[in-house]
Amino acid sequence: MAAHPKRLILVAALMVATGGLTASGSAGVQVSGTERPAPARIISLVPALTEMLFAIGAGPQVIAVSSYDNFPAEVKALPKVGALLDPDTERILSLRPDLVITYGSQGELESQFARAGIRTFSYRHGGVPIVLETLRALGAATGHAVEADRTAREIQAQLDDIRARVRGRARPRTLLVFDRQPQSLQQMYVSGGVGFLHEMLEIAGGSNVFADVRREAVQPSHELLIVRAPEIILEVRAAGLLAADDVRRERGVWSALGSVPAIRNGRILFLSGDYLVVPGPRVAQATAAFARALHPEAFR
Amino acid sequence: MTTSESALPRVAREHRPLRARLAVTLAGYGALALAVCLLAPLVGSTSISLARVFDRSIPFADNVDAQIFFVARLPRVLAGAMVGAALASAGVVLQALLRNPLATPFTLGVSAGSALGAMLAISLGATVTLGPLSSVLASFAGASLAAAIVYGLATRPGRAMSTSVLLLAGVTLNSFFSALILFVQYMADFSEVYLAVRWLMGDLDVGSLGPIAAALPLVLAAFAIFAILPSSLNLLSVGADTAAARGVDVARTQRLAFLSSALATSAAVSLAGPIGFVGIVVPHLVRLMVGADHRIVLPASALFGAAFLVACDLVARTLLAPIEIPVGIVTAVLGGPFFLWLLIRRG
Amino acid sequence: MSLTVNHVSFGYSSRDGAAFALHDVSIAVDRGSVTGLLGPNGCGKTTLLKLMSGVLRPEQGTIALDGRPIAAVPRRELARHVAVVPQETHPAFDYGVMEMVLMGRHPHLGPFQLEGPADLAVAHDALEATGSAHLADRPYMTLSGGEKQRVVIASALAQSPSVLLLDEPTASLDLGYQLDVAALLARLNGDRGVTMVLATHDLNLAAALCGTIVLMRSGRVLAQGPTREVLTAATIRQLYDVDADVHVHERSGHLTVVPLRRTR
Repeated sequence: MAAHPKRLILVAALMVATGGLTASGSAGVQVSGTERPAPARIISLVPALTEMLFAIGAGPQVIAVSSYDNFPAEVKALPKVGALLDPDTERILSLRPDLVITYGSQGELESQFARAGIRTFSYRHGGVPIVLETLRALGAATGHAVEADRTAREIQAQLDDIRARVRGRARPRTLLVFDRQPQSLQQMYVSGGVGFLHEMLEIAGGSNVFADVRREAVQPSHELLIVRAPEIILEVRAAGLLAADDVRRERGVWSALGSVPAIRNGRILFLSGDYLVVPGPRVAQATAAFARALHPEAFR
Repeated sequence: MTTSESALPRVAREHRPLRARLAVTLAGYGALALAVCLLAPLVGSTSISLARVFDRSIPFADNVDAQIFFVARLPRVLAGAMVGAALASAGVVLQALLRNPLATPFTLGVSAGSALGAMLAISLGATVTLGPLSSVLASFAGASLAAAIVYGLATRPGRAMSTSVLLLAGVTLNSFFSALILFVQYMADFSEVYLAVRWLMGDLDVGSLGPIAAALPLVLAAFAIFAILPSSLNLLSVGADTAAARGVDVARTQRLAFLSSALATSAAVSLAGPIGFVGIVVPHLVRLMVGADHRIVLPASALFGAAFLVACDLVARTLLAPIEIPVGIVTAVLGGPFFLWLLIRRG
Repeated sequence: MSLTVNHVSFGYSSRDGAAFALHDVSIAVDRGSVTGLLGPNGCGKTTLLKLMSGVLRPEQGTIALDGRPIAAVPRRELARHVAVVPQETHPAFDYGVMEMVLMGRHPHLGPFQLEGPADLAVAHDALEATGSAHLADRPYMTLSGGEKQRVVIASALAQSPSVLLLDEPTASLDLGYQLDVAALLARLNGDRGVTMVLATHDLNLAAALCGTIVLMRSGRVLAQGPTREVLTAATIRQLYDVDADVHVHERSGHLTVVPLRRTR
């Protein structure tokens, strides 16, 4: 089975395509139109925001989602209308939404909807604080401000809890790999010093070996991997657990870089699940997964 | 000088014997290639010490300098030398075959076929289930298919190849395969698209000697054929009928030229992706420096091509460290303007 | 060396469907002679020269060099006896004059052998014979039309041939250069006894240079023999549909053809 589920690819695409956007930038969420009644027919092209909608209680208002959505379970029954590169404008219009959640780069699309009198909520990719801001803004736009605020505070509390648990512990130098072709070390994508993956890693008590690179995604050469010498390699994949044989094979591939501490000490960890790569309401869950992997003793 | 040479008229004596020119030129280019290849693994974004690299007292797995040298840089330099020599030589031979100084190793569609093979392997998930070797094999298969089609169209048994048919077939195949590649990319998943796009920019960071060893027999076979071509290529490039009237087996020379350049190009592209500009800039630079005689141009281009690509890769991995520039971009950015400058100086 | 063409037929169809062919052509070229192939465009002159040099193989009949069929002679060996001066030479790369001339030594060299002092001597001699020794270090592309043609002849001479085949040797040259080349060819034939076959549509050149003329039309031989016998007003009318005055020119001493009008 091809282990390249679409969610992961979408994240990867986003990180590479929007590379360089810093989390400290503007909130970047824009809602067109003036104060109006809460929208009753919402279409979301952004999986992370779909999850947010359901988390803040706006689930019943969602009538269609993107082709890459598969959480929560309710979205499986909903019509799929494309995503970043291929939004099915006709289908969207035919469903008569009153709010469409779009990507920030889909300017053309947003103008189209504006002309058709449809509100759009424009999402820009960013770090963990952006996720919480977006959650609140989405709550305001959909008439669920109270639930949104509560959800945001819950997430924040969970993150603070993780921070507390790992405080004072040595922060291992970590390589966070989010896209790698099996059996090869060429052309892998790892997290740079910017973006939600990096921030989650830092909250979880890890020290990103590429924290100095002001980009979301880095493609390290063999030499760079040897020089940065991570103590832990965290490989994140959106779909299915790796079979034991595959794990062994992939560890074998890494063994070419014998001087890297993570490889010498066998600290190559594989984490699976799409919650790990979606900058949505499950970031606390994802951060906890990272933290458990990096500091198991802190969670006994 | 021997007595027979000194008895020659002055003009003949001043035309330095080819043997001497060949020896001097090859020694010079050989020294350059060797120097670049010996120096390159020592230079990079991280400084390493040669003494530490070869210090046997430190276990290999602990010796970071040795790891960088042997695992990261040396395979890269060797791959660069091999690919650079292969592409430069293939360029020289194809320019002679097509009687056109603007021909490149990619003119006849071999590189597009290779790219299509690799794209298909990547997007059909073959690399996921079968590993990176599958994309290398697929890319070689694609290259062979393209070469076979062009060859089949342009060859008549016993007759000389039509260079215009060769060119047309190659250009058409290039366009057709490029369109197919775009289509495959359009239908593929995002990460495959980025992988594919990145592959098209060239990558020498093979990380081990395995892929190099796999491509080596093909490159050696190509070079074995290259070795017998130069004087025939000289005559052929003056005119096919004149060459035939001087004893050159035109059909055989053309087929060998096509076969050897296709072999060298497909091996290079399968190993490192399509790295452009080497196959046109190096032959031209070398001709501007040593003249047009293929007996000098071909070996000199191989050596200079090796040095050129290794040097470009060095720039690619150090200029914006820790970010790496794809080597195909560096060859274009360095090769192009330098070539223009040389032409302007000459004109 | 003498060259004999025995009942040779050859055909290949051109792109527009018209088939160019040679029908049962027989020609005798005596040793040391200068033979002219004359005829309108498309009569098969160039094809015949290619057959004589071994570049093409006849479909019927044989071509023999001093009695020996050239089909049986290995390519390289043939090239040591027969050299060709083509109508146009456009090298794809920027070779020097000496390099071009030295390429003529190819049939005399072994597979990996490089030119030696003897080869340089032959090349220099060929340049001298064509009055181009002063051009030896120049790039070929920088020469004038006449100089280029002389260098091409020199490179053919470098093959040390006993037979020289020339295709329209003066076609693209200025009047002065035409005279130069004609004089050169006459000298080469006179001094070195090189057998020559010239394909040309310049009747006066043929009249001046050639002892034997072969008239061709539509792939067949119309007439062949000594120039004065073959080149007459009647044959010219037959060949070109042109009324011409053919007479011996007082000052030059050889036959001159002055075209007067078309016959239809």
